Order: sequence, then C-alpha cells, then structure tokens
Amino acid sequence: MTLLVTAALLAGLSVSLLGPAASRLAGARWLERAPRAAVFLWQCVGLAALISGIGAGCALAVTRYHAGFVGGTRQLIEGLFSAHPLQGLGLYDALGLTLAADLAIVLCAVLGVVTMRTVRLRARHRKLLDLVSYKAPEYPGTEFLADRRAVAYCLPGLHPRIVLSDGTRELLESDELWAVIHHERGHAHELHGLVMFPMLGLRNALGWIPYARYAPTCMALLLEMAADDFSSRRTGRYPLARALVEMSSAGWTPSCALGLTGSGVLSRVSRLASEHPTSRSVAAVAMGLGMGLLFVPLCAAALA
Amino acid sequence: MRRLGELEQKVMDTLWEAPEQSMSGREVADRLPDRAYTTVLTVLERLRRKEFVRRTTQGRVHYFQAADSREAYVAEIMIDAMGNAGNRNQVLARFAESVTPEEAQLLSRALQAAAETRDRS
Repeated sequence: MTLLVTAALLAGLSVSLLGPAASRLAGARWLERAPRAAVFLWQCVGLAALISGIGAGCALAVTRYHAGFVGGTRQLIEGLFSAHPLQGLGLYDALGLTLAADLAIVLCAVLGVVTMRTVRLRARHRKLLDLVSYKAPEYPGTEFLADRRAVAYCLPGLHPRIVLSDGTRELLESDELWAVIHHERGHAHELHGLVMFPMLGLRNALGWIPYARYAPTCMALLLEMAADDFSSRRTGRYPLARALVEMSSAGWTPSCALGLTGSGVLSRVSRLASEHPTSRSVAAVAMGLGMGLLFVPLCAAALA
Repeated sequence: MRRLGELEQKVMDTLWEAPEQSMSGREVADRLPDRAYTTVLTVLERLRRKEFVRRTTQGRVHYFQAADSREAYVAEIMIDAMGNAGNRNQVLARFAESVTPEEAQLLSRALQAAAETRDRS
C-alpha cells in the first residue's frame, strides 16, 4: 500500500514539475539576475521530473514483491533476467512498467534523432567554414566571413568556432567588437552548446508539455545572459550593450521577422543597463532550489 | 587537423581563382609550389569525397572543378547563422537576433538613458 502512495506522490510531483512549475519558472524574471544558476534550476526541474516519472512507474511495478522500493526493484530486475520474465505480472505491474519504459523510450528516441541531425548539420557547417572563413591575426581564436550582413556566432562542438562577418567588423567599434568576441568565448568556455543539447528537439516533439515548451527558449536566453556576464567581466557592460543594439538593429528585414519577437535582445539590453544585473543571493536561492528538487524523488524512493 | 583544413582551403581557392573551368591535379599542384604533388592529390580526393570538388576524366587525366562557388558556400553558412532561436534547425546561437525598427529605437533610447544615469553618478 505504501508503495502505491509513493507511486502516486512521485507521479504527482513529476506532473506538477513539468506543468505548473515550469510555467511559473518561465515567468520568473528575477532569475535573470543569476542566469547560470537559473539554467541549473531548469536542468534540475527536468531531471527531477524525469526521475519521479520513472520512479513512479517502477514503484507501481514492484508493489507485488512487498519488499519496498529498493528491494522490489532488485527483485524485478532479477525477474527480468530469469526464464519467464513476465510471469505473474498483474495490472498494476504492467501499467507501471509500461509507464516507466515509455518515458525512457520516448525521451531517448527524441534525443537520439535530434542529436544525430544536429551533429550532421554542425559538421556540414564546420566543413564549410574550413573552406571559406579567413583569420585575422589581431583577433586570435576568431574567424571571419566575407559577407556584408552583420552576424556573430559560436558554432558549438568539441572545438567551438567563433565566427564574425565582415559586416560586423564594419558596423562595430573596436571595444564593441571585443565585447562580442568575449560573449562568444563565454559560450565556448562554459560549454553552452552541451547544456542546450538535451533541449534541442524538445519543443517540437513534446510541445504540449509546458516544460518542453518553455525550457528550451528560457534556457537559451539565460545562456545568452550568462555569456553577456562573461563578456561584461572582461570588457564592461556598455560596449556589449551598444554592440547588442547595433547588431540587432542592423539585421532587420521584413522577411526575417517571421516568428520573431526580439524580446530576448530587449531583456538583455535592459538587464545590462540596469543597476545590478547580477545577484549572488538569487544565485544561491536558485542553486538551493534545484538541488532540493533532486533530493525529493530520491528520498521518496529510498524511504518507501 | 586544422592544417589539413587550411590546405583544403588553399586548394579550393586555387580552383575558384582559376580562369579555366577545371584543372588537372598537376595544374593545381603547380600553383601551390610549396606543396608536394601527391599531397595536393590527396587533398583533392578528400574534397571530392566531401562533395566540394567534382572530378571528370578525359582520356587518362582527371580534371577537378569546384562543385559550387565560394559565394554559394558563404550563403549557406549565412542561412544557418541568420536563423533565429525559434528555428527548427538549431545549428548555432546568434549573438543577437534581429529586432523591428520600432524595437531598435526603444533599445537605443533605453541605452542612452542608462548611459546618462551612469554619467551623472
């Protein structure tokens, strides 16, 4: 009976983390004062929801052993490797196993497909850069593209590439250009590409779940802010803010306005222009909250 | 690794800048005097496997030509680079996505106001 309660609690936790909690988190602007900790919090919410979901399924599946969660799971695994793995499976057990397995399978499939596609697209992009980008000795670790439009980006990967276009070089003053380069170095240095990897296909595949809908966009914006902070620490906030305004204003054409809000740039600039963009106490709260969330499903499983 | 990439770029540049439509391996190597003929051939083959170079054979001689122009490749990179965060192909994250002219005005006003308060204090 207690395991049934545990299963229900874990399922409830999972659903509320993926639903209302994610929606609340998406609207929490105060987290922008500690972008890195906020990203960690988003990761913890997702991970805690996943652990709870799978845990709920497992708890349901091992009630029949009357050996608690840990003992029951051990017996279940032993049973799976025995000659008749599904013998004596009741309705609860089957439901639970299906739930746990489905969650794991859907997630692995989504991640696998998107990972492969992204890796392929990035490899192609890298090969193209090898052919046509050029270096400038005064900007080490940066490559340039012969194009009049102003773009700057970091291509994530094992060896991240920082790329600026000629248009960017013409548009920006030297201190602004360095601010941009440091922003991109921030992405490379803090492995933001790796952080975003599990999020990439989530919205398209599972967009009806609030977490999958909000987490990729929110985390992407938070990582931009983290890179902004990385750059601000080296070249100051104002050159970066000016560069942001210049770059985002230069690129506008009606055709690329589709599905575009620009709100990311708006909040980044107003954040950089505010009196205190970062806060240690916000960071501490977000980190504590995240770690606490991870403990809940683990404790529930251990105690049952 | 990166050195091979640089040589690939040199070979492609040679093909792009050549007045002829296509060149034999020997002709490419002649324009890269500091590189051995066999090295140039290896790189040409590598580029052919990556489909950046096309090979035709006349008699017993292989002729190479760039599969596409340099501008076409830059354009392809720019398509990846200009895509915004909501794009389904998230190859990379741009420094700043574009804003509308109205938003741009809003931004520079906000920045100016911030700069003024900073200067006053």
